[in-house]
Amino acid sequence: MTQVRDGNLEKMGLLFERYHRPLFGFLYHMTGQADASEDLVQNVFYRMLKYRHTFTGEGEFRTWMYHLARNVLADHVRKAKPSARHYDLADFVDRIGGGAPADERMQKEQELASLHDALRKLSPDHREILILSRFQELKYEEIARILNLTEGAVKVRVHRAMNELKTLFLKRQ
Amino acid sequence: MNCEHSRNQLVDLLGNQLAEAERITLEVHLAQCPDCREELAATRRLWQAMGRMPVPEPTEKMRVRFYAMVETYKDAEAAKRRRSLKSVFRRIRRALTPQLALRLAYSLLLVGAGLAGGYWLSARNAPAVAYERQIDALSTQVQEMHQTVLLSLLENPSASERLRAIGYTREIGQVDRKVTEALLSTLNNDPNVNVRLVTLEALAQLADDPKVREGLVQSITQQDSPLVQAALADVMVKLQEKRSVRPLKQLLHQENVDDLVKTKIKESIKALS
Repeated sequence: MTQVRDGNLEKMGLLFERYHRPLFGFLYHMTGQADASEDLVQNVFYRMLKYRHTFTGEGEFRTWMYHLARNVLADHVRKAKPSARHYDLADFVDRIGGGAPADERMQKEQELASLHDALRKLSPDHREILILSRFQELKYEEIARILNLTEGAVKVRVHRAMNELKTLFLKRQ
Repeated sequence: MNCEHSRNQLVDLLGNQLAEAERITLEVHLAQCPDCREELAATRRLWQAMGRMPVPEPTEKMRVRFYAMVETYKDAEAAKRRRSLKSVFRRIRRALTPQLALRLAYSLLLVGAGLAGGYWLSARNAPAVAYERQIDALSTQVQEMHQTVLLSLLENPSASERLRAIGYTREIGQVDRKVTEALLSTLNNDPNVNVRLVTLEALAQLADDPKVREGLVQSITQQDSPLVQAALADVMVKLQEKRSVRPLKQLLHQENVDDLVKTKIKESIKALS
C-alpha cells in the first residue's frame, strides 16, 4: 500500500487479489446481500485509491482497509432503505448441496436459517464484532484497533454478542 | 476459578484468543465442572454452525470491474494533471480583463519606448563626441592659422594691415608667448601712433599675463608720443599697477614731455599711490 500511495497504482492489483475475499465476506455478512456487497467492495477499493495519501504506513494495511469498509458500509446503510431481503436462501441450498441424507440436510438447513435470522436480529455492534472475530478470524487486538476500543472492551462485547446470539438462536430452534 | 469467569472465556477458547496460561487454567476447570462442559458444548455448536454459514463466491464480474476502475482512475489522474496545467492558463486568461490587458499593453509599450529611446540616445552620443573632437581640432587649427596670419601681418609695411593683425588678437582665444612678445615689440617700436594705441588696447585686455604687465610698465619710458603716454598712464590706473609709479615719475622729469601729459601723469600717480 505504501507503494500505491507513492504513485504505483499497478500494485493495487496485488492488494485486490489478497484482500477482496475477506472484504467481500465481511460486507456480505454485514449486509446479507451478495450483489450489494460486490458494489461495496468496489467502493472500498476506490476509496483506497482516492484516499491513499491518508495511509500513514504506521498501522497495518488490513486495519486501514476495515476502517474504509466500515465507512462505506455506514454510507450504504444510511442510503439504503431498511431492506426486507436478507440472506438469499438459494445461497444456502446451493452451498449445502446434495449427498447428505434428506432429514440431516433439512435439519442443517433449518439450523442455518435460524442462525441467519438470529444474526439479523442482533444489534449492528454485536453483529459486527462477531463477524470480525468469528468470520474474519481477527485477533482481539486487531479488532480493538479497527473499532477504536480497548482489548478488554472487545472481549466484553464479544461475550455479550455471543450470549445475545445464543438466546435468539435457541428461541428459533 | 469460578464458573462465571470460565463461561466468559468459552468464546475466547473457541476463537483461539486465549494466552497459553489462561487456556490451561480454563481446561483444568472444565475437566472438573460438568456444567461448564455442557455450556462449552452448546457454545461450540453455535460457533461451528456460524462457521458453516455460507459466503457466496464473488463473481468474476467484480474482478473485471476492479481492474477497469483502476485503469479509469489512472486515466482520470493523468487527465487531471493535464487539466491543472490547462486551468492555470485559463485562470491567467480569465484574470486578463480587457481593461487590465490594455494597462499591461500600455506599460509594456512605455517600457519598450524607454528602452528604444535609451538605445537611440546612446547611439547618437557616440558620433556627437566624435563631432566635438573634430570641431575642437578644427578650432585649434583656425587659431593656429590666425596666429600665423597675425604674426606675418605685424611685419607688413602697411599700417592698415598691421591694425588688422592686432584685430586678430581678439579672435585668438589663447594667446601664446610668441604673440605677446610680437605685440609688445609693436607697442615699443611701431612707427605709427595709431597702431601703437590699438596694440596698447589689445595688450590691456591681456594684462592677466604677468609678462604683459611687466612689458607694459617697461614700455612707459620708451614712448615719445603724448597720446600713447597718456593712454599708458590710463591703463596703469585701470590695472592699479603700482610698479608703474617710478617710470611715470621718470617721465615727469623728461623735458620733451607734453605739459598736458605731465598733468595727466601726475593725476595717475596720485590715483596709484
